[in-house]
Amino acid sequence: MSSKNRYEFLNERLNLSRRSFLKTTAVGSAVLTAGGLVELKTAKQARAFAYEPYPKDDQLQTVVTSCAHNCGSRHMLVAHKWKDVVVRLSTDDGRYQRDGYFGKDDRVEPQLRACLRGRSYRQRLYSAERLLYPMLRVGERGEGRFKRVSWDEALDFVVEKMNHIKNTYGPTALLDQSYAGASFGVLHKSDQIEGLLARFLGMFSCRTSSWSVPSYQGTTASSRWTFGQTEDGNEDDAFAYCKLLIMWGWNPAYTFHGGNTFMYMRKAKQNGCKFVVVDPQYTDSAAAYDAWWIPIRPNTDAAMLAGMAHYIFTNNLQDQDFINRFCQGMDAGTMPVWAQQQGMENFKDYILGKYDGEPKTPEWAARICGVAAEDIKKLADMYANTKPAALKASWAAGRNAYGEQYNRMAAAVQTMTGNVGKLGGSAEGVGKVWHAEAVAYPYDQYSNIWFASIKSDRWAHCVLNYPNVKREEIGLWQRDDATDGQIPNIKGIFWQGSDWFNQLTNINKEIAAIKKLELVVCMDSTITPSGLWADVLLPVATHFERHDVALPWYKGHYYIHRPKVIQPMGESKTDFQIFTELAYRISPVFGRDFNPKASRDYWHIDDNVDETYLRDWWNNRVMPHQGVDMSWEEFKQRGVYKFKFPRPLVAFQDQIEKGIPFKTPSGKIEILSSQLALIKDWKKTMYGYEIPAIPKWIEPWESLISPKTAKFPFHLISPHPRWRTHSIFNNCGWLRETYEQEVTLNASDAKRLGIKQGDIVEVWNDRGRVVVPVYVTERCMPSVAVLHEGVWMDLDENGVDRAGNPDFLTLDEPSPAGAFAYNTVLCNIAKTDLEHRPGWDKLATSRAHVFRRDL
Amino acid sequence: MSETIEKAKIKEAVKRRKLETYTPVKPEVQLGFVHNNVDCIGCRACEIACKDKNGLAPGPRFRRVQYIEGGTYPNVYVYKVNMSCNHCAEPACLPTCPTGAIFKRKQDGIVDIDSTLCIGCRRCEAACPFGAPQFDPVDNLVKKCNLCVDEIEAGRKPYCVMACMMRVLDIGPIEEIWDAELETPAIGPEEKVVRQVKNMANIELTKPSIGFVPHSKGRVK
Ligand code: SF4
Ligand code: SF4
Ligand code: SF4
Repeated sequence: MSSKNRYEFLNERLNLSRRSFLKTTAVGSAVLTAGGLVELKTAKQARAFAYEPYPKDDQLQTVVTSCAHNCGSRHMLVAHKWKDVVVRLSTDDGRYQRDGYFGKDDRVEPQLRACLRGRSYRQRLYSAERLLYPMLRVGERGEGRFKRVSWDEALDFVVEKMNHIKNTYGPTALLDQSYAGASFGVLHKSDQIEGLLARFLGMFSCRTSSWSVPSYQGTTASSRWTFGQTEDGNEDDAFAYCKLLIMWGWNPAYTFHGGNTFMYMRKAKQNGCKFVVVDPQYTDSAAAYDAWWIPIRPNTDAAMLAGMAHYIFTNNLQDQDFINRFCQGMDAGTMPVWAQQQGMENFKDYILGKYDGEPKTPEWAARICGVAAEDIKKLADMYANTKPAALKASWAAGRNAYGEQYNRMAAAVQTMTGNVGKLGGSAEGVGKVWHAEAVAYPYDQYSNIWFASIKSDRWAHCVLNYPNVKREEIGLWQRDDATDGQIPNIKGIFWQGSDWFNQLTNINKEIAAIKKLELVVCMDSTITPSGLWADVLLPVATHFERHDVALPWYKGHYYIHRPKVIQPMGESKTDFQIFTELAYRISPVFGRDFNPKASRDYWHIDDNVDETYLRDWWNNRVMPHQGVDMSWEEFKQRGVYKFKFPRPLVAFQDQIEKGIPFKTPSGKIEILSSQLALIKDWKKTMYGYEIPAIPKWIEPWESLISPKTAKFPFHLISPHPRWRTHSIFNNCGWLRETYEQEVTLNASDAKRLGIKQGDIVEVWNDRGRVVVPVYVTERCMPSVAVLHEGVWMDLDENGVDRAGNPDFLTLDEPSPAGAFAYNTVLCNIAKTDLEHRPGWDKLATSRAHVFRRDL
Repeated sequence: MSETIEKAKIKEAVKRRKLETYTPVKPEVQLGFVHNNVDCIGCRACEIACKDKNGLAPGPRFRRVQYIEGGTYPNVYVYKVNMSCNHCAEPACLPTCPTGAIFKRKQDGIVDIDSTLCIGCRRCEAACPFGAPQFDPVDNLVKKCNLCVDEIEAGRKPYCVMACMMRVLDIGPIEEIWDAELETPAIGPEEKVVRQVKNMANIELTKPSIGFVPHSKGRVK
């Protein structure tokens, strides 16, 4: 950009009218030494720029890359580097895309601005907890004592153990606990189901996989049953068209899932959209959108939705035409013949109480969910009478006992009001918008081989009780060969980009189980709390240190190039390099098949091979399949490709407008699920236990209406924090000074317990105990306690977690559909003398001014 | 301290003191910030971007997003007041500096500290009613927001502004901000800008160059 141009831009952006300012700015440094002091003359003249020496952005090399961890979004990061060091990061400012310029930021191609976590990436990259060398355990497992070893020693150790375990215990002995933590990219991918580890262990012929996804299994199950697919979401900009937006347990001000969701919601607000938040907390989303807050008891959402459905049916507010055309099983008229013949229940008659004599009236719902019947009616009325209206059913309320019933109930209510497939409406459960080309690593018949597959948080139960385990207890996936029903004999775990030991439920049970294993491998770029329980730590290069392409997997349509911004730190290698080398060490054929484009030199030089994988993927898949007209070379040079669409993408628009069948067995929106209705032997399914064919309220095993509250009067929920992604970033100082791991309590509860803001309390139940400070507020429903997930566990000698990880209190009992019951927890709380260990230097922060009461 | 504060007398004293010490620079254009207290989601991307840009360790925070919450369950409210340095028309920090390290730029009114002159005495830290100057114990210096003067001179906007996920933080000529005339996504249609909100020091002290779109509960008369 010429300097003349630049100042024209400045003029536009700053909206300057005074020419004198422009003139002064344009001469730049000539006037810089004009200090501000008029009367207080000093010996030296003050200088214009405060932090000399200070490399300015334009003196540094600029490299476009992206953020990379498991948050759902994938915002742009721009590295400004000096030699091989990233000096600072900025983000998308509109300049990098095709036809871009500084400041470009519109509906079609909004800037992909990184959040606070992305902006703190340098602290993660250069953190003291960076794992730089291979390590082997020297102390007891979990003691956290390791010695540095050579790669040769570490890899030979792993290979020897793998061979021994497979030969001794058979093909189910190694458990794949890969997750999307460190490695989300199209080539260097860690993934629970079909990532590099899955392929590696599958080809090795020893793999038990973990099928239920911790974040949202209830929600995916519901979307698949109801709509036939998990892509039930609208693109971000569609939110701008809502007239009413009900955020059910959804807090987009915390969980940045779409690139710009919250910003488009702001547009909706400016267009006059009304917002409602149904949540035990008055969240920042509620505040920013000035929402009507409806506090609800955790884990009772399906009951409230049933109450709304009752109001809508009894007042005849449902969109009957829509129901008749598109639904199966919403009411008697939409029941298929086969279901009628078998006398199956339909949804409307269930709601009206025809089968159990219990009409699901708002009054009935109020007794369960704690929301006044009047408010339930008012909301139902608003929702049924505002067109279009979006009910965004989040994942959080689905991370519960019978969480799938909440998501299905929400889908039924979305459908009965005719808000599916309409701009400004919403069918969102999962919320995923499209299926992008996302796999550049070898993807073939070896990609997802498994010999047993279990519900992910039942591994400890399986290990501790083997062989006296029933298949339904661990949610064993059915197989169509002779091994169907065989309980896996798990003897080793692999963690790739996964901190699951810290993140799954009931950690104390995991601790008991891990002691029985013979091999625990952790591949990560950070020494995670899980890593401390491993036998071997393999240092993995971060995404700044390897070549890849990023994309959001959820919302937002773009690809971001991720070059090797800096050389791998320490002795770290990429996951792909590590697996390839391990495979070669097991057998040369395995090595070649695992990474067909590479030779064994890949261990030392990965650039050409990675480039080939990525270029082939771009040329053969992205360009032809997704209508991308940018060449690989241009993409690499710009760093970003943004898709442009003439109108906002809305899920199921074609089904509704063009009559294309839904991907369900019947082609309809299945309120009555054909798949579930036809199951006879539940034990032989991965669910293990019966799931009703229509959405129903089922009382959870722990909640505020349960008699267990006599002993444990608080319901604990553990939402996602905004200053961490699960456990990632917990060690970053910049983020640590923006928050504290603390349990949120309502002011009246705190008063009753004699607790003040900042007091240290113990939170406990039969499963575990944690010690944390308290945040006392009016923003939280009484009897509810909030403790954010993901903090790095820190056990004392008595097994009390001093860091405050809520998963010491959660139960490893998933819902039938596989939903983790993270939010189905009762506990008690009392002041304690035990010390809370925040895990970092608290005195180094300045947090005091952050929260202020205005009374 | 006397029980009744004689506001007028104090005001007079403040004025006199200022006149005795220095005459503030009158900038050709005064740049300043605008922040939307309601639509801000409180994410602090702006804070972290600032820390990264200025290479600050945990501790000093040039930009501070404050949460203000009130009401009684279930009728509660929350809003945010986001402030760094306000590049005041009459900076309280400036005359306290014994070495003259603090200066106000003529062309745009930016108040900056020359780190080569700062002796880390922390007087400015105490003088600023907004908590803007931040002591950096590593460098033994006081540092503060300089409105990313290097970015401004390069024809761009400050890091915090370009980081804002909601586009509710912006800079511009302060008069235009106060008149809500600045074309910026920070100010929504029909929204007015105020100079003073609750939970903030009296603007008469230094005449800060900042405007807010206030929350209904954050308005002052
Ligand atoms: S806000 Fe404080 S530091 Fe900034 S110019 Fe005003 S008085 Fe000085
Ligand atoms: S203008 Fe620059 S120095 Fe000032 S708060 Fe923003 S990012 Fe920080
Ligand atoms: S980045 Fe924007 S929305 Fe986030 S806290 Fe700062 S001003 Fe508020």
